Amino acid sequence: MASSVGGLAVRVQEEPQRAVQVELPAFADIVREHQGMVFSLAWHYLHDRALAEEISQDVFLELYRHLASIQSPAHLVFWLRKVASRKCIDQTRRRAFWPKFGLDDIPEPPAKTRPGDPMLSRALAKLVASLPEKARMLVILRYQEDLDPSDIARVLDMPVGTVKSQLQRSLEVLRDKLARTVGEIAL
Amino acid sequence: MKILGILALFALVGTAGYGQALDLKGLEKLAAKARDVTDVELDGSLLRLAAKFLSADDPDQAKVKKLVAELKGVYVKTYEFEHEGEYSESDLASIRTQLHSPAWSRIVGIQSKKERDNTEIYLRTGGTEPGGLAIVCTNPKELVVVNIVGKIDLEELSELHDLGVPKIDIEKKPAKPADKKDND
Amino acid sequence: MSNLEDDLRIALRREEPAADFTERVLARLNQPFAEPTWRERLAVLMRPPRLQWAALAVIVSITIPAATVRYRNEVQYRAEGERAKAQLLFAVRVAGSKLHRAQRKVLETGRTGTRL
Repeated sequence: MASSVGGLAVRVQEEPQRAVQVELPAFADIVREHQGMVFSLAWHYLHDRALAEEISQDVFLELYRHLASIQSPAHLVFWLRKVASRKCIDQTRRRAFWPKFGLDDIPEPPAKTRPGDPMLSRALAKLVASLPEKARMLVILRYQEDLDPSDIARVLDMPVGTVKSQLQRSLEVLRDKLARTVGEIAL
Repeated sequence: MKILGILALFALVGTAGYGQALDLKGLEKLAAKARDVTDVELDGSLLRLAAKFLSADDPDQAKVKKLVAELKGVYVKTYEFEHEGEYSESDLASIRTQLHSPAWSRIVGIQSKKERDNTEIYLRTGGTEPGGLAIVCTNPKELVVVNIVGKIDLEELSELHDLGVPKIDIEKKPAKPADKKDND
Repeated sequence: MSNLEDDLRIALRREEPAADFTERVLARLNQPFAEPTWRERLAVLMRPPRLQWAALAVIVSITIPAATVRYRNEVQYRAEGERAKAQLLFAVRVAGSKLHRAQRKVLETGRTGTRL
């Protein structure tokens, strides 16, 4: 009987205020549970804390708009990783935020560090953050999120073979640069 | 002067004071005869919910958000009919009775004999301040009734007439007298 | 596993954003912040994937129904809000277009001198 223009002939008769009171804690819980993952992806990628927080907020706002498409907890995690990765890569492309280095052209940290020293972690994180865009995200997804290459390939929409070869190459470069910096590192 | 008065009323937008919604139940029987029906009923709580989903990044939606900030209700009924004569003035009797009450003032009545349509705009003027808007548009195959309850800026509302329509920049050329048309 | 990979895992370990991150996300949604009530249960559900598969299966079988209900409610709320927003935008466009047309007619009538 009531065909409509743009599908608007539906009367929403439910009381939405009750829905608001019930559902806000649920979304806040989702944010709290996954903010570390999302923020860390952005932080390790961008090495700018304020920007990483901004990107992370954008990811959750986009999640809120697309909640209807989330099918399960596992899908949620996949979705967050995928969107966070995309936003980080888009950010660097838009603003040329971080100088682009070829895999053979990564600057060495200024001072020598000992293995296991916290400074090593910082130096290593900086080296990762200076990798080319895709390689950088590959390494972060592999070692922050502990994803295997096939999962990384799904998140970044890349062939598995490419993921594996770029990971291998990135490790070689990082190893080479670190070796020069910290002396001999057990390989 | 009369024209200026009417335009001034458009600019004087709604101030405080909230009227009650029109009773539009009398139109429900038209739905069975209409080819196409749109029925929007947004009371205060639904308006607040809708406003939360408006995007602050979209300039038009941001304007809508500002526009509806003090509204209590938005009600729109549109009926399109396959043939002329499928509804009559008697179907609108209940609404006209309400709009002819002292609480409402008709500020604009436009009748186009060429297009055979009629537009009436009413402001609710209960007390010293308006608190609502009603628009009744009729033509042989279409009926539109709009009722907005609450403080509304008519000028801002009028500017949103092409909401959602992609804006196209057209290089404007001076119009020759023969090119002037009634752009409806 | 090489030491470099271990070092990378340490260097790239997760870090938390500022303490008020969630509140700021919710503020951008224009929603009031509510104190959590199910956080520990959700924390159990969303642990990193290092659980044994058997334990994971048990946890999933207990918590997925609650999580499913939660997601469905979120989906429903979202759908209602988008529907209300669509209705509002339509209503504003209809009302705005009628007003705009009336305004133009009034202006044209003023130019031609024809009485309303």
